[in-house]
Amino acid sequence: MAEKQTTKTTYQIPIGPIHPALKEPVMFEFEIDGERIIDVDVQLGHVHRAIEWTGMRRNPIQIIYLAERICGICSFVHPFAFVRAVENACDIEVPERANYLRVVHGELERIASHMLWAGVAAHEIGFDSVLYLTWEMREKVLDLTEILTGNRVTKAILTIGGIRRDITEDLKPKIAETMKYLKDNYKHLAHVYLDDKTFKLRSQNCGILTYEDALKLCAVGPTTRASGVKKDVRVDQPYAAYSDFDMDYMTPDKLTGEVNGDVYDRIITRLLEVKQSIELIEQAVDQLPAGDLVSEPKIPKLLNYIKKTAGEGIGRDEAPRGEVIHYVKFDGEHEEPYTWKVRASTYNNILPWIPMLKGEQIADIPIVAASTDPCMSCTNRVTVIDQNKRYMLDKEQLHKLSVQKTRRLMK
Amino acid sequence: MAKGLPKSFKKALWVYNCNSGSCNGCDIEIIAALCPRYDVERFGIKLVGSPRHADVLLITGPVTRQQADRVKRVYEQMPDPKAVIAIGNCGNTGDVFYESYNLVGPINEILPVDVHVIGCPPRPEAIINGVAKAWTKLETLEAKK
Amino acid sequence: MSKNKTPEEIVKYFKEEFKTKIKSAEIKKRTTGSKKKEFVNIWIRIDKSIFKPFVKHLCDLTFPHLAVVSGTDLGKTIELNYHFSIYFGQNLKEISLNMGVEIPKSKPEIETVCDLIPGALITEREKQEMLGVKVIGIPDSRRLFLPDDFPDDVYPWRKDEKGLEKYIKNLHQGAKK
Repeated sequence: MAEKQTTKTTYQIPIGPIHPALKEPVMFEFEIDGERIIDVDVQLGHVHRAIEWTGMRRNPIQIIYLAERICGICSFVHPFAFVRAVENACDIEVPERANYLRVVHGELERIASHMLWAGVAAHEIGFDSVLYLTWEMREKVLDLTEILTGNRVTKAILTIGGIRRDITEDLKPKIAETMKYLKDNYKHLAHVYLDDKTFKLRSQNCGILTYEDALKLCAVGPTTRASGVKKDVRVDQPYAAYSDFDMDYMTPDKLTGEVNGDVYDRIITRLLEVKQSIELIEQAVDQLPAGDLVSEPKIPKLLNYIKKTAGEGIGRDEAPRGEVIHYVKFDGEHEEPYTWKVRASTYNNILPWIPMLKGEQIADIPIVAASTDPCMSCTNRVTVIDQNKRYMLDKEQLHKLSVQKTRRLMK
Repeated sequence: MAKGLPKSFKKALWVYNCNSGSCNGCDIEIIAALCPRYDVERFGIKLVGSPRHADVLLITGPVTRQQADRVKRVYEQMPDPKAVIAIGNCGNTGDVFYESYNLVGPINEILPVDVHVIGCPPRPEAIINGVAKAWTKLETLEAKK
Repeated sequence: MSKNKTPEEIVKYFKEEFKTKIKSAEIKKRTTGSKKKEFVNIWIRIDKSIFKPFVKHLCDLTFPHLAVVSGTDLGKTIELNYHFSIYFGQNLKEISLNMGVEIPKSKPEIETVCDLIPGALITEREKQEMLGVKVIGIPDSRRLFLPDDFPDDVYPWRKDEKGLEKYIKNLHQGAKK
């Protein structure tokens, strides 16, 4: 029996906010046979800025601003998890009004992030006009964010024990207007992604992650919910004010009735989550209780209290990409934490790439990798560029292959 | 923007984006500049996929140890005349990452920077303003030849 | 499917099996929201000798979700904290179980759990390079975050590692020049 001729080739794939000119290095090493992938090896290209090491030398308020810049898209969830970890470690209470406001900002960021992802996924398939459509919708969400917090991307709205800015009565009509705009355009968006023949052809039965694999590899977020595993920190464990609302896990069988674990299912999961977020924001703004914004407004007093308290705590929350967990340990003598560990959601979603990509065609690599919505800067790595591989297909060629396949299918 | 400029620049500006370890905030605002709201393509500014076709280099991020070499190589691959724009606070001063074991200095210690755009992240309007200033600088350089 | 155990029953389940090897067990409950729902964190510290049997015992109870392994340098020992969570998938019933195990710095070794939970690979690789812990039996022991030309015996998270000092650069001083 003749041995199959396989060639070991390396493809340097850019993952991240993707556009023809953006490069965020991640190295995949594929063993291919013709057009099919036999085996995958992931070598992480990184953006290591030594954030955890730096954090162990600063006081908790400074760490909030450091944590915000771990990633530009998840700039609410990292401070949120850190603040929760500190509150759990030192037993600091959070007023109810602050909890509801945290829900509003968290869900607003989720909508913005899913819109960004939707544009990126459409671009990988080859529909640039859909990229512009979704990003235009995202601009409206960013306008609202700017009115509520002062900035589009890095918000600086959290503090230990509460939140910094309030939503007053005169801001509520603007929130209602943005939600109405999103609801009106939601149907159009769903129609473009779910009913279009080419989207379906490219994404169905492609990049499948089975239920068992998702469970064993500890995948998180929409990647794992699309395979049928019910994991969502907001519904599993009460935090902020999520336990006051009636929520459920968004799995694809809510829309289609069946679960396949392919790219199409991930699109469905994210669209369902956008709808859920819009409803959550409206409910939270309606039911906003009266009260304080912070439990301890004087920061020196707060820092002094943290300095004297020894303890450890974890803070988990649900980012648009999955579960984020921070661990903090105070030793009771310094206000800098003795240990700070950050684990972003993409960390756990890297191993699932391997079973997803085996057996797929090369032209499908961009859409499968983008469907897990990876965020490489969250994962804190160092760039490794390996020079002595045989030949490199860069992102331009990969993107071209992906677009060519779409044009072929459209005929 | 075009007032009083020498008409020596024949084509519109092509821009290449290089991420040297940033948090992606600035990169998202660069792509937002292309979208219909800010629509930088109406000026003819286009994002290209290779430094060999580009006139302007946009760099974001505090330069990590590994990216230092890559950033230099990208700069050398670009044809003259060229301009370098450092976008975001990280590339200009280091911002919150001022002390770390894996970062090598603000961008102007590695490459000659022409325009500094500050902000964390800078708004798309500020980025377009920065690119326009680089355009003016390039036009002046072209005219001097 | 058996009924969920309460946090107290879970601690009893482990104490019955491992008796004195469990060094300490603490249950922390906090509430949140207007409806005052509570969330539970269990912190268990164990002796190194029962590490693998403990994880196996947990997997027998219910397949856990391993969030991350965090590591602390405590001077003479290194403490590894395994952050598990169990009973996900049933509204508001998840319990976080944090297991801490101390290993001596003179012999920093621990067994892998990748055969029980394949998703632990990435976090175990990170501990190897950041703290100098040797994970026995790990399927892939390449470096994860640090560059390949980073020196071999410098571990960034260790508090005693003086070798790191010469790598630190202050960017603001560079900008002032």
